[in-house]
Amino acid sequence: MIGFLQNLIDALSLGSLYALAALGIGLLFGILRLANFAHGDFITVGAYALIVPSLDVTAKMFIGHWPIILMVPTVCIVVVVLALLADALLFRPLRRASAPTLMIASFALGYIIQNVILMFYGARPKAVDLWSNLSQQVEIGPVRVPQLQLVTIAVTIVLTVGLTLFLRRTSFGVQMRAAAEDFRMARYLGVRANFVVGLAFAISGLLAAAVSLLFLSQSGQLSNSLGVPLMLFAFIATVIGGMGSLTGAVVGGFGVGLVSTMLQAYLPPELRPFRDAFVFAVVILILLYRPGGIIPTKALVQRV
Amino acid sequence: MDEFGPQMMMRKYWPLMVLSVGVLAIVAVGDAFGGEQLQTTLIEMLIRMIVVVAMQLFIGNSGVLSFGHIGFMCIGAYAAAWATCEPSWKQLMLTGLPEFLQSAQWPFPADIFMAGALAALVALLFGAVVIRLSGIAASIATFAFLAIINSVYSNWESVTAGTSSIIGIPTLGGPWPTVIFVLLTMLGGFLFQNSRYGLMLRASRDDDVAATACAVEVIRVRLIAFVVSAFFVGIGGGLYAHFLGVLTVDVFYLNLTFITLSMLVVGGVGSVSGAVIGVVAVTVVVEVLRSLEAGFAVGAAHFALPEGSQEIGLGLIMALILIFRPSGLTRSREIPWPFTTRSTTSASSQTPADDVAAAAPEPLKGAAE
Amino acid sequence: MLEVEDIHVNYGRLVALRGVSVNVDEGEIVCIIGPNGAGKSTMLAAIAGGVPLQSGTVRLAGQTISGMVPEAISRLGVSLVPEGRHVFGTLSVAENLRIGTFQRRDRANVNKDFERILEHFPQLRERLNQPGGRLSGGEQQMLVIARALLTRPRLVLVDEPSLGLAPRIIDQVYEILIDLRRRDGLTLLINEQSSDRVLKFADRIYVLRDGRVQLHDQAANLRGGQAIMSAYFGFQDRHNAPPSERTSS
Repeated sequence: MIGFLQNLIDALSLGSLYALAALGIGLLFGILRLANFAHGDFITVGAYALIVPSLDVTAKMFIGHWPIILMVPTVCIVVVVLALLADALLFRPLRRASAPTLMIASFALGYIIQNVILMFYGARPKAVDLWSNLSQQVEIGPVRVPQLQLVTIAVTIVLTVGLTLFLRRTSFGVQMRAAAEDFRMARYLGVRANFVVGLAFAISGLLAAAVSLLFLSQSGQLSNSLGVPLMLFAFIATVIGGMGSLTGAVVGGFGVGLVSTMLQAYLPPELRPFRDAFVFAVVILILLYRPGGIIPTKALVQRV
Repeated sequence: MDEFGPQMMMRKYWPLMVLSVGVLAIVAVGDAFGGEQLQTTLIEMLIRMIVVVAMQLFIGNSGVLSFGHIGFMCIGAYAAAWATCEPSWKQLMLTGLPEFLQSAQWPFPADIFMAGALAALVALLFGAVVIRLSGIAASIATFAFLAIINSVYSNWESVTAGTSSIIGIPTLGGPWPTVIFVLLTMLGGFLFQNSRYGLMLRASRDDDVAATACAVEVIRVRLIAFVVSAFFVGIGGGLYAHFLGVLTVDVFYLNLTFITLSMLVVGGVGSVSGAVIGVVAVTVVVEVLRSLEAGFAVGAAHFALPEGSQEIGLGLIMALILIFRPSGLTRSREIPWPFTTRSTTSASSQTPADDVAAAAPEPLKGAAE
Repeated sequence: MLEVEDIHVNYGRLVALRGVSVNVDEGEIVCIIGPNGAGKSTMLAAIAGGVPLQSGTVRLAGQTISGMVPEAISRLGVSLVPEGRHVFGTLSVAENLRIGTFQRRDRANVNKDFERILEHFPQLRERLNQPGGRLSGGEQQMLVIARALLTRPRLVLVDEPSLGLAPRIIDQVYEILIDLRRRDGLTLLINEQSSDRVLKFADRIYVLRDGRVQLHDQAANLRGGQAIMSAYFGFQDRHNAPPSERTSS
């Protein structure tokens, strides 16, 4: 029983990370039909922002040594600026492009970002100590849980609630939701296209920054493909949950976290290395039976 | 004008003739005058040509963007390795391989066809399951396929030597054996494109709903394209194994997927000519960047682009093409028939595609215009 | 107030509008009628900035608006109620109504307008917090008109308001539009398929067919005459058109 609870909390913590990443992807997809393959690389950039650019094997902390109250917003600003630049330089010229074109463009962007990081930081992974004190465990009833996991879950809840309030209570949020549902009609009613899109990129960047800090604290290692597995699983989460649906993204994120953790815990040992393959296989199954995802949005149904 | 008469046939296969001559010329020149570095680049280019033309066969005709084809390259490569490695080595290192594979050894061209066949088989199994999906769901499914293959092959140590490598794959001398397969693949691409199946697929590409309403068996034909395409990619993979001599799984993942996709996009998704020209163009650019990275001396000073410029350059080119010329260098058209006849406006087999996937954008309300 | 001058609009190789010119004076109700595929929806969309013009100009009160983005044109006081309603189904009725008000400069009047509009559309008041997608067809049509009016437009473009609605509801819709024209001095440009209704209250009528204006006159002159029918169905054209055009109809 304790083992199960332990696994459950593991699943929640992992799921939180995936949910946050999935939110970032789902937001852009909902508004722009953009499947942002570069989202993982936004996350990577957030992590690398902490250290001094150099090709050395050991990382020297730069922003990473600042007090939290300065460090976190700075990292957020870095990633948000990157996201806004990506919109202005790459995705805005592609406003009218089809979904496959946008996918390839984001793929190219990710490729560029990864290699720029390579150029300035070197190819070798670097060890980084961010908030390693959070790996200390805390006792909650019968289970012992690393503080970091609790922080991750808490941050996710706060950000998700914050995003929901933003979307429901503010005029910008209502405009974004309208644009996500019917962009053309929203523009006819005066909603500024570029502003809404920029806002979506900014929020997506913010979410990516949060994931980068939480993930780096957990893994302790920087590499130029740091965000790629996160991006893959986040994509899967959005697809499962329903692309274009933010609730779906969160549900999907926790779902993937749950499946992944449970597989890790309960698969026979010989099959455990193939855990990822199983997760992806589950994705394909879900795509087959509910191509719109578990919580599909109307917008994806093609009107005949 | 008779669609299948001799004159029409000439026109339709004219690009194949031009491309074949072009490829042969490039290889002949490179072989005669190039050093070892150039030879290597040449062979790698030819192998990528096979893969990209095969990708074009599926993506260009069906309009479905597939991120998973490098998975078939992986399958083909390892199949060729299993077929040609020393039995004693296999029995020692790859204990998971079935008995008959361990003890046997097949000679050169046979193993390549086996590689293609295995890839085609996997494509048939996987495709039968997912080919129903369309649009983004399909693309993501192919991405998942790539990830699955990568995960399975990386971890199935007893069969693939996992993250260490398979060594001792006999290498081929020179580019000429590979060239033959290139010509075969191009032929396959044109045959499919000009066939009933190709026509049906392109009709469904442009309007899924209308095509289904006309009782076109979209699904069946798409599967055929998928399997044929995987066959040739598998062949490319088998040749790649021989080229490398040493196999690891991580070669067949996102980087190679990006490179091959960008070659296809740069050249033009909608045509075989596009695939071929794209491979040549990107190879040339990457080579130029590579030599700039190596640097050159001007007087006493040494100028060199920083490491990683190749990749960034490739990424930037991709982005620029997507923005300014999404239909690619060839505008997704084949090499045109240069001799005009009285009715030059007749029978164009390609509709100019003004977007990457050569597919009409789905009528989603969400597209910001 | 609105001058549409010789506009051409293409969708790829398909020509939707071939040199259409329309004028609407302030306070007028002008109707465009014509068969399906005539280009009526395209024209309204082009005026509102939703589709690009191949050539030609659109001017609003002397200012050129062709080439501007839809949201900018909306801010100048043009409101489009497109065909098919386009209610934001996942947003509540209240949110639907408020969307257009965010861009208004006269913040003080927004709430007043809100109240006023709800008086005209009492059914909406009852459903303020329900998702827009749950309303009936007629209610949705009310909603999108109310929504368009809340942007405080000078010119309202309505695309086939009666499509798919019961006659009683259509009457209601038109009563409201005419009332608003009277009270607020709105200018209306309305697409319709059926000519009966249109003849009753329009000031002027254009008949559009095959992307061209076939007929244009005061409504008073057209009542009871055959002219509309001929223009609508192209009776005369068929005999006189050159061979290539004949095959295209």
